[in-house]
Amino acid sequence: MVSDSITNAYANSAPNAKDFAKKKRANRSAKLKQCKLDARREQWLSQVKNKQSSEDWKGENRQRSGSGQLLENLETRRQRDDQNGSVHQDSDSESPSNSPIGLTSVLSGNHLSGNCIGSSSSCSSGSSTGCFSGSTTEEEEGGDDGCLDDWEAVADALAADEKPQNPPFDPPPKGETVGGLQSRGEHKEELVVPDSSRPECVKRPPRTATANNQAWRPDDAFRPQSLPNLSKQYSFPDTNRHYGSGPIPWGCNKAISAPSSCPICFEDLDKTDSSFLPCLCGFRLCLFCHKRILEEDGRCPGCRKPYEHECIEAEPSLLEGSLTFRLTRSCSMITRT
Amino acid sequence: MQTSRARLFKEYKEVQREKGADPDIQLVCDDSNIFKWTALIKGPSETPFEGGVFQLAFAIPEQYPLQPPQVRFLTKIFHPNVHFKTGEICLDILKNAWSPAWTLQSVCRAIIALMAHPEPDSPLNCDSGNLLRSGDVRGYQSMARMYTRLAAMPKKG
Repeated sequence: MVSDSITNAYANSAPNAKDFAKKKRANRSAKLKQCKLDARREQWLSQVKNKQSSEDWKGENRQRSGSGQLLENLETRRQRDDQNGSVHQDSDSESPSNSPIGLTSVLSGNHLSGNCIGSSSSCSSGSSTGCFSGSTTEEEEGGDDGCLDDWEAVADALAADEKPQNPPFDPPPKGETVGGLQSRGEHKEELVVPDSSRPECVKRPPRTATANNQAWRPDDAFRPQSLPNLSKQYSFPDTNRHYGSGPIPWGCNKAISAPSSCPICFEDLDKTDSSFLPCLCGFRLCLFCHKRILEEDGRCPGCRKPYEHECIEAEPSLLEGSLTFRLTRSCSMITRT
Repeated sequence: MQTSRARLFKEYKEVQREKGADPDIQLVCDDSNIFKWTALIKGPSETPFEGGVFQLAFAIPEQYPLQPPQVRFLTKIFHPNVHFKTGEICLDILKNAWSPAWTLQSVCRAIIALMAHPEPDSPLNCDSGNLLRSGDVRGYQSMARMYTRLAAMPKKG
């Protein structure tokens, strides 16, 4: 029974650690692409972190007291937690068997981990800070009862992962990770940082960044002026994607002042029709009239030239739509010059 | 059939909506047949047709607008490209240069333009064409003005 739960706990914790490591690796690879940005971010982050840690302390207090606990209680509990933590750590390292209480807490910690990771990753950036703090948040929640199995596994994985390859990254938490749990009280301050429920979290620029590894939003007030503006680079594929997504074909049409109704049958052009460009001259008409014309003399009403057999059609809802659309434009330029 | 009717109905509504937008053209649809239209066009200024009002008859095929409407002058006109007796019009856009993008309104505008700029090299009225081709602009203008007064202007007295 007890040993069963032990293996369960380890089985649960091991893939967790692996997951974190994996996530971290992926994040790092993405991060390497903008290492220049990150280097600056690190500097800035460490400055802010020092400032933030005091704020975090207050923020945590606020949160705890908000849930109906007195500040004094909190203090004492923190100390108790710390003691519990060290005790369990010791017993952990010495023997695989643990007290049943500790085991249940491990399991509950694992349970919590899903929620915590989700919340922290949604709030935090895709960088390894987010992952790291996610894992620690989980640990913090479960750690009330002194569960340390997960923590150790995660910390080991992270330390091994992080230390050789990215030394300057996120110095304060890593120091604690490496240093183990001696400075547990100080540790907690850092652990609370990524908690998404806290208002500070929203204010902090690195945490608000979205999944595309953007540390700052372009309009962020905290964003250093010296940083290059990445919004253009990000917006380019974004607009590309939007091009095929539906409403933009209208935008394309407006750029060359397309009619809202078919000039042949005077019926309104639907979305398919309006992204339909059968002739290089740019004359637009609905698919129905185009078909009828092809059955008759097959000449474009706009330029009276015969329609080419493989007329260039723009797909209405695909990315190809915009691509072929551009193709036609470039083609017409070529033919005219 | 259905398409041409719908298209003509839209054109009719467009004409009703933009009545007076072009004071030189008055398009009227037959009360009982949407495929029969008549138009009244004013002779363009600084031409021998100035001051005259010319009546056009439109017969619209069922394949309209893929096929051009058949248009002819009901009012007698002395013009190289209009048959003097039948009123048939020799105009490329009414033949092989027709485009479905044209409307009855734009056909009327094209005919007004043709009145101002005759093409004597492809005449339906050989007398008129010959006058212009021989360079007798004055003779052509006086003949055209006479017929305009005779046929296209309200009778005086």
